[in-house]
Amino acid sequence: MRLLTHNMLQCHVKKCTDPALNFPLQLQDIELEQVETEENEDLLLNLINKVDYNALTTTAAQLGLVGLPNAIPKDPQADPAFMTRLHEVLLETNITQGKMACRGCGHVYTIKDGIPNMLLAEHEI
Amino acid sequence: MDSEPAPPLGKPQPVGLAAAPADAGRTEAEFVHEVYDQIAPHFSSTRYKAWPVVDQFLQGQASGSLGADVGCGNGKYMGVNPRLFLLGSDRSWGLLDITNRRGFEAMQADTLTLGYRPNRFDFALSIAVIHHLSTPERRCAAVREMVRILRPGGQLLVFVWALEQKGKRRFDQTQQDFMVPWVIPMNSVHNTLTASTTGETSNAQDAAEDSTAPVTSSTSQVFHRYYHLFREGELEQLVLNSDLASQVTVTEQGYDRDNWYVILTKREAEKSP
Ligand SMILES: [Zn+2]
Repeated sequence: MRLLTHNMLQCHVKKCTDPALNFPLQLQDIELEQVETEENEDLLLNLINKVDYNALTTTAAQLGLVGLPNAIPKDPQADPAFMTRLHEVLLETNITQGKMACRGCGHVYTIKDGIPNMLLAEHEI
Repeated sequence: MDSEPAPPLGKPQPVGLAAAPADAGRTEAEFVHEVYDQIAPHFSSTRYKAWPVVDQFLQGQASGSLGADVGCGNGKYMGVNPRLFLLGSDRSWGLLDITNRRGFEAMQADTLTLGYRPNRFDFALSIAVIHHLSTPERRCAAVREMVRILRPGGQLLVFVWALEQKGKRRFDQTQQDFMVPWVIPMNSVHNTLTASTTGETSNAQDAAEDSTAPVTSSTSQVFHRYYHLFREGELEQLVLNSDLASQVTVTEQGYDRDNWYVILTKREAEKSP
């Protein structure tokens, strides 16, 4: 599971609706793997408008991933170092094992062999 | 494919149900989720060709678009257009494992509640998924969930099996809920297990979900999957007769390879009064 996916996910337990708490999910006991992929400028420029950048930098720092500035540069296209680092963090950093815990309700979603399990029990839907 | 020989004696046929099963969640768990886990490698070995309408939809998305493939199966659509990036989800761990090994994003989730943040995706795919849901409310809820994750202006392509299909199978036109057999020939078990990692075999079982191999029950394994087969117009009506009518427009609709399909576009946000 790439960090992009983590940034797109929120806790979806029915009663867990506080946006200040149900996102981002807290990563725990994480094993990482870097997998090289081709950089796609169009994709990165599009994702800049979709990801929650604060959540991304916070998560990256927690995982010990350095090199992302605190704010998105004014002209990201003109900053190849930023684009490459964003690509590496969002699209090449894979979580192979671990957990994602919700700060709102405490629900823990597991990640096994690179696949997050977002299934809920019947009473949580 | 048009001139199918008569089915061999003893070949399992679809069984019509007088009505949709009473317990929707349990029926889908037993006759959809569990079956796909059991047939995952064989099913995957038969799923490698992109349908033309889906291919066209993917080629038509802007470079760099982010998509959700909801019910991604073995991920056969996730690499069709390498200028896009797709996040796949499915119920079946067996199929997700194949998708993941191909280097695609795979997430285990229910199509009714995905866990993605709202208004993120440029497009979404639902290919041969919501016909496995056993009530109109659940089929509509699945569409609603995908519309929720689309950005305004984003597009959703939905494919479902048609009752009126003219291919390999003929269905009793007076019913819409069926148990449809999936047959794994015993002699293919080993081959499909090895083929599943490459996703390529010479197996011809593709467009219509049917085993073409002449098999009998003594040499094969038979699994039954629940299907609701859609009538002409039903897919659009499902959307237009619900609260979704104010959220989406029907951009395209049609029939392709035994399926009805529709492309929905999420409306731009209404100005608050
Ligand atoms: Zn929660």
